Amino acid sequence: MSNYFGYAGRILRVNLTKNKIVTKPTEKRLIMEFVGGRGFNSKRLYSEVAADVDALSPENKLMFATGPLVGTAFPLGARFNVSAKSPLTGILGDSNAGGHFAPELKFAGYDQVIIEGRSSKPCYIFVQDQEIRIMDAEHLVAKDVYEATETIKKDLGDRQVQIATTGPAAENFVLYAGIFANLARPAARTGMGTVMASKNLKAIALRGTGNVKIADFKTFWKIAEEVEKETFVHPQYWPRRVMGTTRILSLADKLGILPTRHFTSATFEDAAEVSGERLAREYNVKSRACFSCIVPCSRIYAIREGDYAGLYGEGPEYEALSSFTARVGNSNLNLALKAVDMANKLGLDAISTAECIAWAMELYERGELTKKETDDLELKWGNGEAILELIEKIAHREGFGDLLADGVKIAAEKLGKGKEIAFHVKSLELIQADPRGLKGYGLGYAVSSRGADHLRSEPFLELSDDPEKGMKMFGIPEATLRLAHKGKGKLIRYFENWCAIIDSLEVCKNLAENMELLPLNRAAEITKAVTGFSFTANTMFEIGERIVNLERAFLVREGITRKDDYLPTRFLKEPLPDGNSKGAVFEIEPMLNEYYEERGWDSNGIPKTEKLRKMRLEYVIKDFKRNTIRTSKKKNVEN
Amino acid sequence: MQLIQMKRILADVDRCSGCRLCEAVCSFTHENHFGSSTSRITVIKEDGFGFDLPVLCGHCDHCNSMEKCPSKALERNAEGLIFVNEEKCTGCGKCAKACVVGAIKLHPEKFTPLICDLCGGKKSCVEKCPTRALTYTEAKMPQPKLHSKVLKETLRRWGIIV
Repeated sequence: MSNYFGYAGRILRVNLTKNKIVTKPTEKRLIMEFVGGRGFNSKRLYSEVAADVDALSPENKLMFATGPLVGTAFPLGARFNVSAKSPLTGILGDSNAGGHFAPELKFAGYDQVIIEGRSSKPCYIFVQDQEIRIMDAEHLVAKDVYEATETIKKDLGDRQVQIATTGPAAENFVLYAGIFANLARPAARTGMGTVMASKNLKAIALRGTGNVKIADFKTFWKIAEEVEKETFVHPQYWPRRVMGTTRILSLADKLGILPTRHFTSATFEDAAEVSGERLAREYNVKSRACFSCIVPCSRIYAIREGDYAGLYGEGPEYEALSSFTARVGNSNLNLALKAVDMANKLGLDAISTAECIAWAMELYERGELTKKETDDLELKWGNGEAILELIEKIAHREGFGDLLADGVKIAAEKLGKGKEIAFHVKSLELIQADPRGLKGYGLGYAVSSRGADHLRSEPFLELSDDPEKGMKMFGIPEATLRLAHKGKGKLIRYFENWCAIIDSLEVCKNLAENMELLPLNRAAEITKAVTGFSFTANTMFEIGERIVNLERAFLVREGITRKDDYLPTRFLKEPLPDGNSKGAVFEIEPMLNEYYEERGWDSNGIPKTEKLRKMRLEYVIKDFKRNTIRTSKKKNVEN
Repeated sequence: MQLIQMKRILADVDRCSGCRLCEAVCSFTHENHFGSSTSRITVIKEDGFGFDLPVLCGHCDHCNSMEKCPSKALERNAEGLIFVNEEKCTGCGKCAKACVVGAIKLHPEKFTPLICDLCGGKKSCVEKCPTRALTYTEAKMPQPKLHSKVLKETLRRWGIIV
């Protein structure tokens, strides 16, 4: 068993080209410098996947990792990170999901699984404690996520086996296909499913009979009980339990940040029709939770009447719901549920899919795209049938769908139109919050290490619009005002580091961060109680900083500089037309300057040598020198 | 047949969120570690329907497992609780197969059946259940339902199948 408390203590490496399986102990240095999960993955990706590796080649490596708190009774740790070089963005690819897959990985005895090479024929990996088998998956080819999961369960004769699988979208090399655990727990961003499919790997099935031991159970239970108490009286407890993240839809509408009709508006007239409140009232059947979580925020819905009556499933969350309602101008909730269900079944990232569709719709509405080019689909706002057909076409790369399957950036380049309204940062499609009304979030999208994404920083504090908090935490009252530009560099640095820790401990951001249940000092205390290693709030912050810097170094090695830390021009030039943030635009340059300075990066967004040395990232300094990237002298600032 | 009246742990399938915190707490209480394979309670999950059903020994009046045990290692104490006499148990696993609700699994190292002992009345899982799906109540348990039957009934009630 494990040498360490809290960790499974082993790292599994499966080479699919050579059919070679190796297990190694988890190194203590890795733990002390990167804690777990995302930290482990980012470190290994930096060391093992060089700049010239093509994302879909056998040289790319797909990694699953989980953290020290996962598998214990601590109420918010049940997640895993999947990382690889992304085929969609060409840079760091990373996605995170909850459910019951991560604890099973831990019980099976692994902190990290690394998949290398490419199998000569379709296969899936079955991990049963120390026994690892590469199984034939010829019969799973082209099966959707639900069918594949069910078939594997039947094949193995075990209903309780945990499965993470890809769908047909991944097999057709749609660049934003995800990996789906527990049917509706997708790690879908940045095309991790596509990388998995490129290895001819359909799924990973887990069964573990091991256990997790902890160092100091008295302190563990003390902290767990504190968290429990705070959770049950938290003002967000019931809204989250009843609506999950779908509660955000009507809040975003009120704030005037709800991306409507491809960001041409920030309020949706039919928001109430498609809100989380309506979903809870009319569709919810029951609540569900990730492993050991005390806030069951996931929901089972059933459509009882109207279109698609009889459809049921788990979810949706805010991003997917908003994707197929406001973003594409659709006010039919039943249709949105159907669309989310289809995206899940086919194995697509709902956010990227919706951006591609909404982008095409805007072009169509402007008259720049005709029926000839769209295979006769009438891409008017909210045309439900066209949306569903397009999802299917994207997943199977048919006709017009083939163009959209490469992501919105490449689609715009190939089509030669609509580049200025292709909403992505570093090729990753933008999420469902208009950065013009949320300046901190916007800066977060611009600098995030995986492209336009809020989960790298999630500066929720900004939503409080309380200058006192900004003054107290950062010495700048504007830092926590959502429409102000000042102080956001400090805000984002702090939140990025915190989020890196949360991702590395593999706890839930909704609870740990948004509900403020796991501030850095408590994160340190609980990690210390579980592992027995001496973590403090300061070392935690430093680990977060190290992860962010290492990920930035990975990006720099791939050629990313300041010019790539941008937001699409609509947000910089066109003021928000309506809602409670009316008139707002985004001023990126001063914010970037502040952020880089705060980070100790040069004006081109490259970490300075002193900073890297302080973070004990000497290997990065060496790398930078070898690749003749001058870390502090480069000065040309584009954009 | 005389019915045994005693306090039992009952599960409410409508309330259970399937978080398996009960499994974690149970394994900790009995084994001092966290691991679902050593918990006396198991949540049966069907993700496709969102169905979660905690199963554990109900100390039923009529116990198939007791009957099928070749070495008579399963015994009932004065209060009506079924327990395993580890000296007699050979670890053959017949009890696990015989239990109609599938409440018994075998210890991964000792191979003895894991049977709920209500933590001697401390009922740790009930205490920690975040949705109060587990209750500790005075109840009779003459004939437990198969989970395939519970599944069907539940889905019908939820309006998922007709």
